[in-house]
Amino acid sequence: MTTVVNPHQASATVERRRISRWRTNRFQEVLSGYIFITPAFVSLFIFLVAPILAAFVLIFMRYDVLSPPTWIGTQNLSQIVSDARLRDVYWNTFRFVVFATLFNNVLGLLLAMGVNRAMPSIVKYLLRTALFFPVLTTTASLALVWNFLLTQDRGVVNYLLQQIGLAPVPWLSSSTWAMVSVVMFDVWRACGFLMVIYLAGLQAIPEVLYEAASIDGANQFQRMRYITLPLISPTAFFAIIISLIGAAQVFDNVWVLTGGGPGDATRIIVLYIYEIGFKRFEMGYAAAVSLTLFVILIALTLFQFRLSRRWVHYD
Amino acid sequence: MWFYLGEISIWLFLIIMAILEFAPISWILSTSLRNPSDSYKLPPDFWPTAFHWQNYLAVINSPQINFLLFFWNSLKIASLVTIAQLITCSMAGFSFARLRYPGRDVIFFVFLSSLMVPATVIMIPTFILIRMVGLLDSHWALILPATTSAFGVFLLRQAFMGIPAELTDAAKIDGASYWRTYWQIALPLVGPALSALAIFTFLGSWNNFLGPVLYLRSWDNYTFPIAIVMLNGYMGTGNRAHVLAGVMISIFPVLLFFLLAQRFVIRGIAVTGLKG
Repeated sequence: MTTVVNPHQASATVERRRISRWRTNRFQEVLSGYIFITPAFVSLFIFLVAPILAAFVLIFMRYDVLSPPTWIGTQNLSQIVSDARLRDVYWNTFRFVVFATLFNNVLGLLLAMGVNRAMPSIVKYLLRTALFFPVLTTTASLALVWNFLLTQDRGVVNYLLQQIGLAPVPWLSSSTWAMVSVVMFDVWRACGFLMVIYLAGLQAIPEVLYEAASIDGANQFQRMRYITLPLISPTAFFAIIISLIGAAQVFDNVWVLTGGGPGDATRIIVLYIYEIGFKRFEMGYAAAVSLTLFVILIALTLFQFRLSRRWVHYD
Repeated sequence: MWFYLGEISIWLFLIIMAILEFAPISWILSTSLRNPSDSYKLPPDFWPTAFHWQNYLAVINSPQINFLLFFWNSLKIASLVTIAQLITCSMAGFSFARLRYPGRDVIFFVFLSSLMVPATVIMIPTFILIRMVGLLDSHWALILPATTSAFGVFLLRQAFMGIPAELTDAAKIDGASYWRTYWQIALPLVGPALSALAIFTFLGSWNNFLGPVLYLRSWDNYTFPIAIVMLNGYMGTGNRAHVLAGVMISIFPVLLFFLLAQRFVIRGIAVTGLKG
């Protein structure tokens, strides 16, 4: 007896086996995919997606945390329009964001260009440590320290100003100077961070370009204008976006340094939302105000992206 | 001539900035070491002239304020948050980068777009949620919402995309499970991204101020930053040297860490900054 195996049949069996193995593998891959994503997704859903959805419902409610929420329609939204303090607060926020972003980025870039040059490694180490140190330290503690330093009467800064013959400045008690102090503190604290970001961008520029430019007779200014600035522009774009979004959400700086005062002079948006929500217990209105910030930030980011086509060069 | 003038002004700028950035820190150190009765005395010191280490002992041993407890609270929260994020972000990042399953791109899009959402927007609803489940004045209120981060997921996805596909494919052909491929092959190869994420998550949690202000109520639960600000109010204006000693204690671990791992931290910012 000889069993003749139909070659055609045999290959079909192999094929079937291969398909079934592929199915098992495929099934395993899909299953693992879902298992791997589950922890992050559950956490993201509960603590980010759900709160955002809840915020959109909350804006139509009056809710003081203690008694059950009541539906009040668009009352919170019309309150936004009529809230004169909100307008002041946004004006403060606007000034803070513009000046903090401007000075942080300009100083960050200048510092990065300064540090990114040939120097003994110990000098580089010391410079980076000094410039970067405030970034790592708790903002709240540092704001407390600056509060001590800027006191009008026995403050260190005013003492030093007087030593060089200048008049003492009401850093925290005058409404004009309080905003200056808040911006100054933010720049002091954060420009080292931007320096590091710009430094990474600068170090990615190939040295060859500068050499070629030097051979062609470009001077230092021309090399900066035609090589450094265009090639750093993607980094600058990223840095400006993150510092804008960060500055718009500053809380601890101002909370500790001035508490929003004097009056409302340095009350910026997050402090105001905190006040509405946790001092006045108007959760619905607080959610509505925070959504305005959300809308503004999204619009600003989109605007930046549109604008970026004019000045950001990708390769 | 012009060249030297340029060089001099650049160096002058760098040195002045370095002094401005560092002088307040050295003022903290010097004043924290002064005799408490001298803490307001002018002129200020920018290097220690007195050595009243008792201030530090006074803060640590203060009967009303349990500083070691605050330290432990901060350390506990920051460590748990960091560990949780390393696990959840790397698992999700691996699945986005290396596995194919239905709905993957939609989920990834959800993660990406949540990067755009400012924390302020979810502050109020999250507070209500935490309050509803009874976690107010508990450390879980700070840990649970921080168990993952869309930024971390994105960072690690990019890192996993960067390792050669041949490596994970070879593991698959050798019959390794996906878990094993992730744990033994892929994870060891994304060390820099993991350490960058760990550094920033830890620092972010250690320095978090708004969270404790919103959720913590009792002294025993306070973390370092809020405790120091409260310490100022508590000790009043008379005891600045003690408050500054407290600030110094909170700075010290960070300083030590940075001096040892400076290159790591800076590379971390460069890595995350450019990919973020």
